[in-house]
Amino acid sequence: MSACDNPNVEKDALMQRRQKFDGKTKICVRCKENTGNVVIRYSVYCKSCFFPLVQTRFRKSLEPSINPVPDGPRKKALKAAGSLVIGLSGGTSSTAMLDLVAKSYFAPKAESDGKLKGGKDHPRNSDKGVWKGKAGVCYVEVCGAFPGERDRTDEIRSVVGSYSNPNFEFIPLRLEDSFDSNWWKEVGGDLSSSAAALGLDMTDEDLRLVNSSPELAPLQALRTYLTSLPTQTAFYSVIQTLIRLLLLHTSASRHASHLLLGTSLTSLSVNLISGIAQGSGYQVPEEAKEEWRPRPDRGMPVRVIRPLRDVGMKECAIWDWWCNLKIVGEPRSLYGGGKNSIGALTRDFIFGLESDYPATVSTVARTCAKLVPKEGSDGICALCERPAQQGVQAWKARISIRSYQEARSSVSGNTRPPHLTEEEIVNLTKASLEAEPTPDSPISLTPLLCYACHTSLTSRSSRGTAALLANGQALNQVPLPLWVRSTADAAISAHVHEKEISVTRTIKMSRDEMEKEISAFLLPEE
Amino acid sequence: MSKVSLKIEFGGGLELLFDNQRSYRIDVPSEVPIDNSTDEESLSTKEKKPVDVKYLIHHMRDHMLKERVELFMEKDTVRPGILVLINDTDWELEGEGDYKLKSGDEIVFISTLHGG
Repeated sequence: MSACDNPNVEKDALMQRRQKFDGKTKICVRCKENTGNVVIRYSVYCKSCFFPLVQTRFRKSLEPSINPVPDGPRKKALKAAGSLVIGLSGGTSSTAMLDLVAKSYFAPKAESDGKLKGGKDHPRNSDKGVWKGKAGVCYVEVCGAFPGERDRTDEIRSVVGSYSNPNFEFIPLRLEDSFDSNWWKEVGGDLSSSAAALGLDMTDEDLRLVNSSPELAPLQALRTYLTSLPTQTAFYSVIQTLIRLLLLHTSASRHASHLLLGTSLTSLSVNLISGIAQGSGYQVPEEAKEEWRPRPDRGMPVRVIRPLRDVGMKECAIWDWWCNLKIVGEPRSLYGGGKNSIGALTRDFIFGLESDYPATVSTVARTCAKLVPKEGSDGICALCERPAQQGVQAWKARISIRSYQEARSSVSGNTRPPHLTEEEIVNLTKASLEAEPTPDSPISLTPLLCYACHTSLTSRSSRGTAALLANGQALNQVPLPLWVRSTADAAISAHVHEKEISVTRTIKMSRDEMEKEISAFLLPEE
Repeated sequence: MSKVSLKIEFGGGLELLFDNQRSYRIDVPSEVPIDNSTDEESLSTKEKKPVDVKYLIHHMRDHMLKERVELFMEKDTVRPGILVLINDTDWELEGEGDYKLKSGDEIVFISTLHGG
């Protein structure tokens, strides 16, 4: 049976499972001497060749982006424009990344044997690192979002402390810091505009902003925000966004030129596929490599680098095991969290794919690396601070019907809700037009969002959004992360260029009205 | 019945499923039922094969696992995302589940499911 028989015609014609290595020899493909210990994408490596292999891939992904002019000639030493921040979750790949960074760039120099050295080993170069100042190792504690989970900050602190490297500084953050004005002030955020946090009316599809959100403690604000999200998928993707922005703003406040994230090849593929499934296809290039500019402008842009993007999760796990590294982060999937979210389903799919057909996972990442967005960007999303696609709302209004009121756009009878007559639809149209916001009504967050964030906040789940949140907070005053305000304030002060961001709508008219509109041009009936 | 002594270790947080204990020393029978059933009756009555990793996984599921079987096993083997090392070597080089266990073997199970 060939591997490509048609399974519909021939019952047993399934694709044959390929052997995990060529099967001829167990000798390492690199040194060609030792017996292999590990199979990586069909190739066999021994333990002593495994370490340089991973380290080379790590450096190859990171070093071209270190100097201010990326990919430029690097004949001179590597020299970054600012300091370094490393994101550490305590999971498999970020633990491996921290170890690789420590061993590659912060390893203590070997003791001098008394001989005078020159060149880059000259004593005057001894304290010149690649990055300026101390490297910050930043951990975001997420237990605030998962009541009942324990706080792991101290365990992570001891992992960072185990490097006994004076150049590492541990920076503990918490997910609820996104709603904490003290943190926002610390990272240089603007607090001048208003004392109260910005709120959001989640009961309204237009996501109207309200200015008078009640004063909530950061943890309570975080929980209100997360509970108000309509789907489980949104819950998990919002947590990812909060972690990313906390790390980015912290990096900017430390004048960091680079933020390193431990996304392995496997998790990059998961993020790409699940991102596309959630509507962030436009941001595919950002998923692999991103340059973020703090707003309001305060310092240099931060390059987000994923130096393990060519190293699979298997290699990371084996690196951790062979280097005796402790994995502190708890495998969240062990507790069934988000079992049915798009992220978790994609992860299960990609992990299954990786164990059966390892090369396909790298194909996902390589294919996505070739994607270029067709449309330009018309700004930065207020929530995720990634580029937002042009004209998203106009397009969304054209292709979807969000309510019966919008049934006006379904001009043909085929797509009309069957229980409504044409006349009823026209009346609905009028009703909703009357309800259109006047210039005085609060502004909407919608035009400030990218497609993915807008979809997260407005998608409908089968269980629906709770009318009232558990802690008594109403859905029409949901607090927003503090950075949203810097974008929204600009929009409010300009009193929303309502004209520019308005969406062209199609209005259904009755036959009589249509006749009236064109009556002047009609020839009299004879 | 002769026994095979093994050392089992867990990494990457997998120990949470096994009473939070990272290392175990266990004995398994050297001859086990072909269908990998691990109850006393099957061990004495059913047709036998030499003990292999596939049986060990069933043994761990039936006698050591404390919670959530679906997070450890899938379709008669370990769930994708769990790596197995046999004497410090990837089990893919040793024939995966068909590897015949010997006394003194060290089997390591590492979870990669945490990710980041």
